[in-house]
Formats: sequence, structure tokens, C-alpha cells
Amino acid sequence: MMRQILFIYLTSVCFLNGQNIDENVLRIQQRMETIQTFTANVTLDVDISFVNIPEKEARIEYIKDQETKVFSEDFILIPKKGLDVSMHQLFKNPFITVDRGEELRNGYTYKMVNIIPTDKKADFSIATALVDTIRHRIVEYEINTKKDGTYIVKMSYDKDTAILPDNLEVEFEIERIRIPLKYMGKDAQVDKSTYKSNAPKTGIIYLNFNYSNITYQKKTN
Amino acid sequence: MRNLIFSEAYKLLKQSKTYYALAAIFVIEIIILFSAYSQGQSVLDLLLDNLKNSFHFEGNLLNGNLLSYLILNTLWFHLPLILIVIISGTLTSEYKDRTLLSVMLQPVSKWKFILSKYIVAIVFTLLIVFFLALTTFILSYSIFGKGDLIVYLDTLNFFESSDAFYRIMWAFTVGAISMVFFSVVSLTLAIIFEEATKTWILGAFFLIVSNLLLKVNFDNYVLDNWLYVKLNDTWQYLFYYAIPWDKIYLNTVILIIYTIITMVFGIIIFTKKDVN
Repeated sequence: MMRQILFIYLTSVCFLNGQNIDENVLRIQQRMETIQTFTANVTLDVDISFVNIPEKEARIEYIKDQETKVFSEDFILIPKKGLDVSMHQLFKNPFITVDRGEELRNGYTYKMVNIIPTDKKADFSIATALVDTIRHRIVEYEINTKKDGTYIVKMSYDKDTAILPDNLEVEFEIERIRIPLKYMGKDAQVDKSTYKSNAPKTGIIYLNFNYSNITYQKKTN
Repeated sequence: MRNLIFSEAYKLLKQSKTYYALAAIFVIEIIILFSAYSQGQSVLDLLLDNLKNSFHFEGNLLNGNLLSYLILNTLWFHLPLILIVIISGTLTSEYKDRTLLSVMLQPVSKWKFILSKYIVAIVFTLLIVFFLALTTFILSYSIFGKGDLIVYLDTLNFFESSDAFYRIMWAFTVGAISMVFFSVVSLTLAIIFEEATKTWILGAFFLIVSNLLLKVNFDNYVLDNWLYVKLNDTWQYLFYYAIPWDKIYLNTVILIIYTIITMVFGIIIFTKKDVN
């Protein structure tokens, strides 16, 4: 009888524990939420096999709970997921986390955590984040969106104390361009196998941030 | 020789066809600008369709550089057709009006006379391309402003505004060589066929066949690289992301050689021909 009670207790504790939010993720979320505003000069370098575009510069303005504004004198391609350095998208809806153990990257061990939104309105179904438990920040996450495919975002930080990443690498799936031949320009050399292939290609965009005017929420006692 | 050139230039400037041609070029530009204004965004939407899922776009691509590029594409057909009509007309009208016979009764060397026609045709062609380029830049930039240029050539290529201007300017320059080739061919056709309608039909036929053959892959290095039809789109190489200057220089030199050969051929035929 005692064994059965103990089994039920442990099972329920484990189950409930699984529904909790990982404390490292929670701490990162709280750190991120202290950021009220920032502006940054960003350089964007796009690496897509069928797109040639020079490195571009833009200025972004972030205000908490508002859409990030982007300004540029040139035409720029702004990644739909890459500019969210505050990770607002990850944390804006209620979520649960699942501990997935540890992962070794570049000689460092990180905690791997699944972030699963509990609200149907969330625009992603699951995200897998690599958490730096010492510096309390996320270094990489893969996000499976409901409409825009899968993104892998890798972040690097210049300082150990930095909350916001200085360099971002956003990897995404993109379909090969299909437009009528000779629509514009010289007669194209057609690689038929490429055109017949339905396999999506991978694109990467590299972003380098130079922050200014970061304001934080004042601590209240 | 100089007097002959001045005389030919005077005749060209006096004929009304010249001004109709200039007006036609201007009207084509206006039509392209209006159609681009109304349909340009849908063209851009089609080009950028695949990128929409992954990116937001900031900035305006429907700008003066895109419009200049679209007008530049008249070098495929519209401009050479107009040039064929005007340039061949400078000789066919002389056959028709019998002024050629009057000239030949004077102590004028036949080869100098026809060479001066070729020289004037070449200078006129270069001036027409310059006129097209100048009006293109003035109209496009004043109405649509500057901005990045997008071109689809195997890949989607984006060029910054200053780079786009530089490329379009060079494309007009290189394209002028192609236009000179068509002008010289049309004058040579006029020498052979004498009659205006025949010359125009054959000139237009030559242009259409050239455009059709451009798309044909001969699977032969010489034909695919050195046949004249494969050289007439050299100006498009300016819109590859990395400009293949060596290829452009080589193509331009070969096309100039073809132009000179055509001229020499025309001069020989004219000098051996009796003028009735």
C-alpha cells in the first residue's frame, strides 16, 4: 500500500514538474523583460544561393511591447524572425518547458530546453533553445513557426555580462525562385534539375548589432 | 571626304523621318514609364514572392533605376527597329528620288560617298543612344527618384543606387555598339535592295531572326560565343553581380570587327554597282 502511494506521489510530482517553467529560462525571460528600449545600428549580410545583395546597414528602434521599427536609406531584406533580439516572440505567450539534457557546442556545455507555448494563438508550435546557465542567456534556438517554416537563430555576445547579442546568424528555409524565363534580363542559363527540384534551400542572414541607448526597467523594492 | 560627311549629315537632319524617330523613342519611353508606374509593383511582387515568407522589405524598388533598366531593354527590339528604318531610308530615299544619280554624275568617288553615309549613320546611331540614355535618366530619376535596382539574371541581383547608375550607363555604352551594328547592316541592305519597303522588311526580318537565334543553344563553342547574334546582348553582362569585363571587351571587339566587315562588304557592292 505504501509503495503504491509513493509511486502515485512521485509520478504526480514528476508530471507537475514537467509542466513547470525551467528556472534558467525563467531567469532569462525576467532579464529580457527589464529591457525597455534600445536603438542599434545593424549590418545585414544575406547569404542565399539565388540572391546577390550587398551588405546593408539599417537602424532599429526597439520599444518594449511594440513592434520593432527599422529605418534604412537603402532597400533591405529584414528577416521576419532575426531582429527579435529581445526574444519577445518566444516569451510573449504562456509556455511550458521540457528539459532535454545538455548539448556541447564549441567546447561549451549548454542546457537544451524545449519551449512549448500553451496558447493556441502563439505563432510557433515548439522552440528548442540552448541555454547558457552561467551567463543566463540563450545562445541558440530553433523555432518551428506555424506559417513561416523553421528558423535557427545563433547568437554570440561580446561581453560575458551582455543581455543582448552582438552577432546573430539566422538560418531559414526558402524555396527556389520560380519566375518566367526571360521575364527580366538576359537569357538565363537554366539548370533543369534545380528547377524541377522542390527541395527548399537554406538561406542565412548575418546581423551585426551596435547598440546605443539601452534603457532598463528600474528595480522596485 | 569631310564635305561629303557634312553633306550627308545635313541631309539626315533635314529629313522629317529623323525627327519622327526621335519622337517615337520619346513616346516609347513615356509609355514604358506609365506602364511601369501601373504594373511595376506586380512585377516586383512576382520577383520577390519567394522571399516574402522569410523577409519583410524596407525601401522602394520601383524607382528611377528600375525604370531606366526597363527602358534600356528597348535595345532588344524597339530601338534597332527604328534605327533600321531611318538609316536605310537615308539611301533608299536617294534611290527613289534619283538624287543618288545626280550625285554620282558629279566628280565624287563612290566609295567615299558610301563611306561618308556609313560614318554619318554610325555617329547618328551613337547620338540616338546618347539621347535615349539622357532622356531616360532625366525622366526616370525626376519622376521616380533613386534607389536600389533589382535584376533577374539566373539569380536575383540587387545593386545599390550609385552602382546601378554606373552599370546602366555602361550598358547604354556597350549597347550602342550593338545598335551601330544594326544600323550598318540596314545601310548595307539598302545598298543591296535599293527599294525602301524591301529593305525595311528584310531589316525587320534580320532583327527578329537575330532575337530568335539569341535563345538557341547551338552546342558549339564558336557559334554560341562568336556568332553575331550572341554578341548583341553583351550589354546585359553589366547586370551580372560580378561584371565579366573580359567577356564584354572580347564581345565588343568581335562585334566591331563584324561591323567593319559588313561596312567593307557594303562599300565593295556599292562601288561595283551601277547607279540607275
